[in-house]
Amino acid sequence: MELKNKPLGFKLSTAWLSLCVLMATLGWLLPLPSWQSSDSDALGVPMFSKGHILGTDNWGVDQLSAMINGTRISLGVAVVSVTLGALIGAFLGVMAGYTRGWIDAIISMYFNVTLAFPTLVLLLALVAIFASPDPFNPGTTLPRMVVLTFAITFILIPFLGRLARAATVSWAGRDFVLVAKSLGLKRRTILVQHIIPNVLPSLISVSFLAAGLIIILEGGLSILGAGGDPGSSWGSLLSRNRGDLALTPHTTFIPVAAIALTVMAFNYFGEYLRTGIDNRDSRI
Amino acid sequence: MSDLLKITDLAVDFDTSYGKLHAVRGVSLDIAPGESVGIVGESGSGKTVFSRATMGLLRGSSVHRTGQILFEGTEISSLDSKQIREYWGTKIAMIFQDPMTALNPVRRIGAQMSESLIKRLGMSKSEAKDRAIELLTLVKLPEPELALEKYAHQLSGGMRQRVMIAMAIACNPKMLFADEPTTALDVTVQAQVLELLAELRKELGMAMVIITHDLGVVAGYTDRIAVMYGGEIVELASTTDLFTDTKMPYTEALIKSIPRVDRKRGSELASIEGMPPDPTSNRASCGFADRCPYAVQKCRDEHPQLVDAGNGHSYRCFFPIGGK
Repeated sequence: MELKNKPLGFKLSTAWLSLCVLMATLGWLLPLPSWQSSDSDALGVPMFSKGHILGTDNWGVDQLSAMINGTRISLGVAVVSVTLGALIGAFLGVMAGYTRGWIDAIISMYFNVTLAFPTLVLLLALVAIFASPDPFNPGTTLPRMVVLTFAITFILIPFLGRLARAATVSWAGRDFVLVAKSLGLKRRTILVQHIIPNVLPSLISVSFLAAGLIIILEGGLSILGAGGDPGSSWGSLLSRNRGDLALTPHTTFIPVAAIALTVMAFNYFGEYLRTGIDNRDSRI
Repeated sequence: MSDLLKITDLAVDFDTSYGKLHAVRGVSLDIAPGESVGIVGESGSGKTVFSRATMGLLRGSSVHRTGQILFEGTEISSLDSKQIREYWGTKIAMIFQDPMTALNPVRRIGAQMSESLIKRLGMSKSEAKDRAIELLTLVKLPEPELALEKYAHQLSGGMRQRVMIAMAIACNPKMLFADEPTTALDVTVQAQVLELLAELRKELGMAMVIITHDLGVVAGYTDRIAVMYGGEIVELASTTDLFTDTKMPYTEALIKSIPRVDRKRGSELASIEGMPPDPTSNRASCGFADRCPYAVQKCRDEHPQLVDAGNGHSYRCFFPIGGK
C-alpha cells in the first residue's frame, strides 16, 4: 500500500483530492474575506494580485475564498449523495439479488421505474417543487443544496442498486457459496462473509465514477439555474462568471479547472480499482 | 448390517423451458458406514444431480424430488432448514469439482477454514486456528501455518483441493461426497489426492462416494461401483466384479475406452459413438439401445428393469454379456 510504488496518476489524483478535502474541511480557518463580501478596491483583479491570490471577479469577490466554499459545497453534494445512494442501493440490491422471489420482483420494479425517468427532468422537477420559495409562505423552503443532494441520491439508488443486485446474483451462484452452504453455515453468515466482500469492490469503483458524474451534473444544473445558490458551488461560480469571460477569464477558468481535475481524479480511482478487480478475477 | 445411507427409488425432475427434465430416474443405492462407492457416468448422466439431491442441496420450486433418502434412518427432506444445516458438515460433507472456484477469492484460507469451526463447533478463534493447522497437516499441505495467511489464488490447484478436503472433514462427517475431486487437477496430482482421500477414509472411518466420469480413477479406491447412464444406475457391482464379470454393454464400452499402457501401438482407442439419451423424454426403450452394438428390436421397444445377478451385482439389460 506504499504510495511511493503507485503510478503517477494515482499520486496526482491523491494529491488533488487531498487538497480538495483539506479546503473543504479546514479552508474556513484561513484569514480570507468572506465569499459573499466584495472588495470595492479590487474589482476584477487578475490572479496573483496582492491580497487576492486567485484574483477577484467583477464584484470584487475573492476567488480563493469563493473556491474554498465551492469545494465544500460541490464535494459535499457528491460525497453525501454517493455515500447515501451506495448504502441504500447496495442494501436493496443485495437483498433483491440474494433472496430473489417476490422481494426481488418488488425492488427490481422500483429500480426500473425510477430509471425510466429522464434524469435532468426529474432533478429539475424535484428542485422546482421542494426548493422554490412559496410566495404565500416564505421561509418554508428547504436549502437548494439539500434538495439537490437528496434528489441526486434518489437517482443514484437504482443505478448503484442494480449493479449491486447483478453482482450479488453472480457471486451467489459461485461454488464457494455452495461449499459454505454444504458446511452448514447460515444464510446470513454466507451473505455477510462471502458475498458482500466480493460485491463491495466493484460497487466502490462505480461509486467513484458516479461521484465524478455528479460534479458535472451539478455544474450543468447550475447553468440551467437549478444548481446551488449563486456563487456557492463550483457549478454556480462557473454559471455566474461565464458572462464575464472577456473581462475576467480567470473567474471562469478556475472553477472549470477544479471540476475537470476532480472528475479526472475520481475517474482515475474508479478505473484503478476496476483494473485491480479485473486482474484479481482473471487469476481465479 | 445397518445402512448409513439408504436411497430408494430417487427421482429428480426439473421444470425447464423445454419441459420436464428427468435428471435422475429411480435410483436406489445403499451405503454402509465406512464404505467407498464410486459413481461413474458421462456428462449429463445425472451423477452430480444425484449427489446434490442426496446432500439435500437441491431445494426450490422448479425441483421435484420423489423417492426416499434415509440417512441413519431419517428422511432428509423432512428436516427443516435449521436441522439440515446441522446435517451438513457434521453428517455429510462434499468436495467440489473445481478447487479454483470453490474458495472465496477475497478471504484468507485461515478465515474460511475457521469459519465453520467457530460457527458450527463453537470453538474460540485460537482453538479454531490450532484445529485448522491440524487439519491442513492431516491433508499433507506443506507449511500449514503460512497457508492460513494466504489467499486462494496464491495456492496451486492441488493445494487448493487439499484445503477443500480439510474444510470438508473439519466437522468429522460420517460420509463424504467427492464430486469429480480430481477432474480439474494435473494427472500427477490426481493420484496424490485420491491416495489422500483413501487414507483419510480409513483414518476417520468415513463412508465415501467418489463421483467421476473416469472409470480408471475410481478403480483402485472403491469397494463398489455404480455405473450411471441417462439418470439411471445401469450396473452396480463390487469393483472386482464390475471389471471381471461385466454384464452391461455400456460398462464394457467404458472399460474399453480407458487408455492402457499395454495397448498395442498404433491401435485406435475405443470410443462410444452417438449421444446420451434425451433427458426430457419419457423413456420407453433401453436408453443405450441407439449406441449399443448388441441392440435388437426388443431393446428399442421395452425399457429394461434392474436384474439382480446375486452377490450384490445388478444390471439393467435384456441381453447381458456372458449371459445365456
